[in-house]
Amino acid sequence: MHRSQIHPAIRACLYALLALGAFVMLLPLAWMLLTSLKTFPEILRSPPAWLPAHPQWENYRTVWNGFAYYRFFLNSTFVAVMVIAGTVLTCCPAAYAFSFYDVRHKELLFGALLSTLMLPAQVTVIPLFKAFAALHWINTYLPLIVPAWLGGNVFGIFLLRQFFRTIPKSFIEAARIDGASEWTILWRLIVPMSLPAVLTVVIFTFLWSWNDLFNPLVYLHDESTYTLPVGLLYFIARAEQLTGGSAGLVPWHLVMTLATVMVLPIIVVFAFAQRRFVEGVAASGVKG
Amino acid sequence: MNARRAQLLWFWLFAGPAVLGFACFSLWPMLYSLWLSFCRYEVVAPPAFIGLRNYSYLLKSDPAFWPSIKVTLFFTAVQMPLSILGALGVALLLNQPVRGRGFWRSVYFLPSILPQAASAAVFVYIFQADGGLLNRVLGLVGIAGPAWNTSPTWALPVLVIVSLWSFGYPMVIFLSGLQSVPRELYEAAHIDGAGAWARFRHVTLPLISPVLFFNIVMGIIGALKVFDLAYAYGAAQGLEPGGPARATLFYGLNLYQQAFTYFHMGLASAMAWLLFAVIMAITWLNFRLGRRWVHYGD
Amino acid sequence: MNLRHREPLLWSAIVALAVAGFWWAGRAPAPEPADGRKVITWISFITPLRDYYEAEVAAFERAHPNVHVRIIWAPQSEYHMKFKTLAAAGQAPDLFYSGDVWLRYLMPFMRDLTPLVKRDDAEIGLDDYFPPIRAAMQQDGRYYVLPETTNVALLYYNRRLFAEAGLAEPNEAWTWTDLVRAGQKLTHTERDGQPGVWGCSRVEGWWGEWLIYVRQAGGKVFSPDGKRCTLDSPEAVAGLKFFAEKSSRYGISAPAGFEPLNGFVNQRVAMIVGGHTNYWPNYNQVPALDWDVQILPAGPASRRGGELAIAGYAMSKTARYPEETWQLLKFLTRRETVAEVVARGGIAVRRSVAEAHLRNLRPSDRPRHMAAVYHQMDFADPIPRDAHFIELMLKIVQAEIDRMILGELTPEEAGRRAAAAANAFLATFGSSDS
Repeated sequence: MHRSQIHPAIRACLYALLALGAFVMLLPLAWMLLTSLKTFPEILRSPPAWLPAHPQWENYRTVWNGFAYYRFFLNSTFVAVMVIAGTVLTCCPAAYAFSFYDVRHKELLFGALLSTLMLPAQVTVIPLFKAFAALHWINTYLPLIVPAWLGGNVFGIFLLRQFFRTIPKSFIEAARIDGASEWTILWRLIVPMSLPAVLTVVIFTFLWSWNDLFNPLVYLHDESTYTLPVGLLYFIARAEQLTGGSAGLVPWHLVMTLATVMVLPIIVVFAFAQRRFVEGVAASGVKG
Repeated sequence: MNARRAQLLWFWLFAGPAVLGFACFSLWPMLYSLWLSFCRYEVVAPPAFIGLRNYSYLLKSDPAFWPSIKVTLFFTAVQMPLSILGALGVALLLNQPVRGRGFWRSVYFLPSILPQAASAAVFVYIFQADGGLLNRVLGLVGIAGPAWNTSPTWALPVLVIVSLWSFGYPMVIFLSGLQSVPRELYEAAHIDGAGAWARFRHVTLPLISPVLFFNIVMGIIGALKVFDLAYAYGAAQGLEPGGPARATLFYGLNLYQQAFTYFHMGLASAMAWLLFAVIMAITWLNFRLGRRWVHYGD
Repeated sequence: MNLRHREPLLWSAIVALAVAGFWWAGRAPAPEPADGRKVITWISFITPLRDYYEAEVAAFERAHPNVHVRIIWAPQSEYHMKFKTLAAAGQAPDLFYSGDVWLRYLMPFMRDLTPLVKRDDAEIGLDDYFPPIRAAMQQDGRYYVLPETTNVALLYYNRRLFAEAGLAEPNEAWTWTDLVRAGQKLTHTERDGQPGVWGCSRVEGWWGEWLIYVRQAGGKVFSPDGKRCTLDSPEAVAGLKFFAEKSSRYGISAPAGFEPLNGFVNQRVAMIVGGHTNYWPNYNQVPALDWDVQILPAGPASRRGGELAIAGYAMSKTARYPEETWQLLKFLTRRETVAEVVARGGIAVRRSVAEAHLRNLRPSDRPRHMAAVYHQMDFADPIPRDAHFIELMLKIVQAEIDRMILGELTPEEAGRRAAAAANAFLATFGSSDS
């Protein structure tokens, strides 16, 4: 941008600040990585060893072999893809409707939708569980996915609406005069203009779905259906078996190994999405 | 007239699924749980109406109710402003012309995407009284650190610190807000002789006020609903989450325990409705105040 | 951008993919066997012995070809959440874990096994169970649980640290005074580059240790009619006081929060009062750890009060095939299983297995005082029977104990506040008890 305007000393400070912050952010992750390379005795020692005496790369093999990681990974991916698709396909139209249509009691209706953000999930789960059980949806992915296809991500609607509202209505009027249908205006004009916002919603939805522990725990009972976070809990118990231990002493080195493996795809996806994200922001200018 | 009707049709086509979802997955369960809040329902037997007894037990006798409110309010009052400031600060830094912005952004966002159980375990190690990373570093400069995790004085501030580690969500939202500020406006302000602070105050702040407002509302709601962090932090120590001496018994955690550890579904529903009422009140207040300083495009 | 441009093909593809996705999402992953076998569901903790249990179930299915057993493995921390959500949805598992801590808590879901136990007594051999185990299987004279193993509170100690301190090992005559005296000799700060040692562990966060002292001092958690909490009685307060003063007065235990991680395994804590038999395999994994057990030291009022808790199985009231479920329950607790528990380093609930175990002890086996383990059963008491015991202890009482060991409350205040809060709870929620 205006690179020339920044004084070299300020630039140096800027980088120092960024680097210091980054160090603080990464330190716990480094600890996680180091822990994942230790032996069980090194974990048990008090205080725990700083560095692994000999990096235990076998820990990764142990985790991979002793635990159906790929299965949980595929399950998590499937759920995330379906949830993201449903979120985008229902949240964009809803946000569009709430941004650009003058319908009576629209604000009231939107306020009601928004209020669900504040309702603790624990409250709705018992009535919902009863309903899903009656539908024979228990032990299937439908309870995790169907809400997303019915605008369940109210946060997404809210965020998209915040962005849509900054688009001047004259754009839409002009498109209407050109004869474009509302559906076309939404998907060919508004969504491309708001790509950064849509991508933000996609990323958030992905992370929530990927890291959600509560719902899979309640609705999935068969090990072959588990997603990664439930798998992690399952693993903490299972890992004791791999080390020959039993309740009480959790082999955190293996848990950290798994956590590292579990986080890795997220980092990759995010690094990729990040670029798209920045490009999207640069390409469309939300303010129009 | 015809256009109006067409608009109504399109509105329901577009918003219909969301409204249907709202009715099925929120409104109905909410009303059902409102009914439960006046019942004794411990799963074993069908719900039995007991009037306001759940509410009166909570407000008058429950030893955990008020402490959990205190914990939650303290956390909200300290964590929300700090995390908003931190997120905005880092977003502003990243919005500068720095090399490798994508890299820095990923680094700062990374902690937010970690599974809570894993990050809780890491921090339990770091804050361990005997031989933890922090106390060992403090020991190098001659300070005997406290038992961070198990001291009622320190356990909650520790959780504030742990939660500040992951401010990635508001940061990303700030960034997309900041990057949508047209640079012509900055250039115009610059030509007008506005300094850095003046540009921030008069150009950036008004233009990102919608996202700032959004982040504040979500930050408060998030802080009032904290559950994962406290649960994972307790579990990673092999202790009943919420301790020591209820110092980390967040309202959401208290609610979870009443509902899913002890199965006082009626009582938990009453707690949820009290929380819901408080959050609604705060949000309403926020929107009232927000009108004064949030600027939307035209 | 041409706004008239439409992509019907793209949208059809999206719809087709979505339909495929929903089909996949809605497919039941574990179809019930279509071959007409009776399906029994069993919910179990994920345990280190998982392969063993799966083999057991396979063996059972071979013996009962008309039965299929579906195991729901649940992480221990989420076990009860899962159990009760299933029960709430009318899908309670047919067979589930229960011990006497959980017996009153889960009783509303349990089938009274008494008629079946009486019918099959010849096969089960009730007399073979130790008397306190048999008592733990019952409530009001009715049988609800068949046990697999048990935990008994014991005094654990590190033989090397005792020898280094020039101390004789604990014996059966030990009292609290001996515990304190030995603890003080064992406790030392860092020296010669070796980390410091605490004489005795202190169990924080649950009732594992302090309840022993309360009972040994003559205190009780509940009044005899079970309607009131009596932790404010002078006897109970005396027990709480000893628990607090282990650190604040005698200095044999670390201040709250400062106990070294895995202190006993790392040989930085010399004794544990209470402990858990589940940890034995962990201890035996550390070759340098030379440990043993003794019966608990006696308190001012009694030697009794150490905890005895069984782990076993119960049958759901709603079991669809009670006879088949009962066969499975018996199969999972048969004599061979109890022997297997012992072989893997645990305690036998049956006298015959215990006696065989004692006869065949090898010098290298840890603990060596297995006789003390079975002897301790004579002094052990079950957990107070109350449907809300776990909740009262963990959610209501423990916070006051926490504050006591931090020095914020005196034992008297802690006892009084704990009893007051527990009584307010019992007044509101105690009545559903039955």
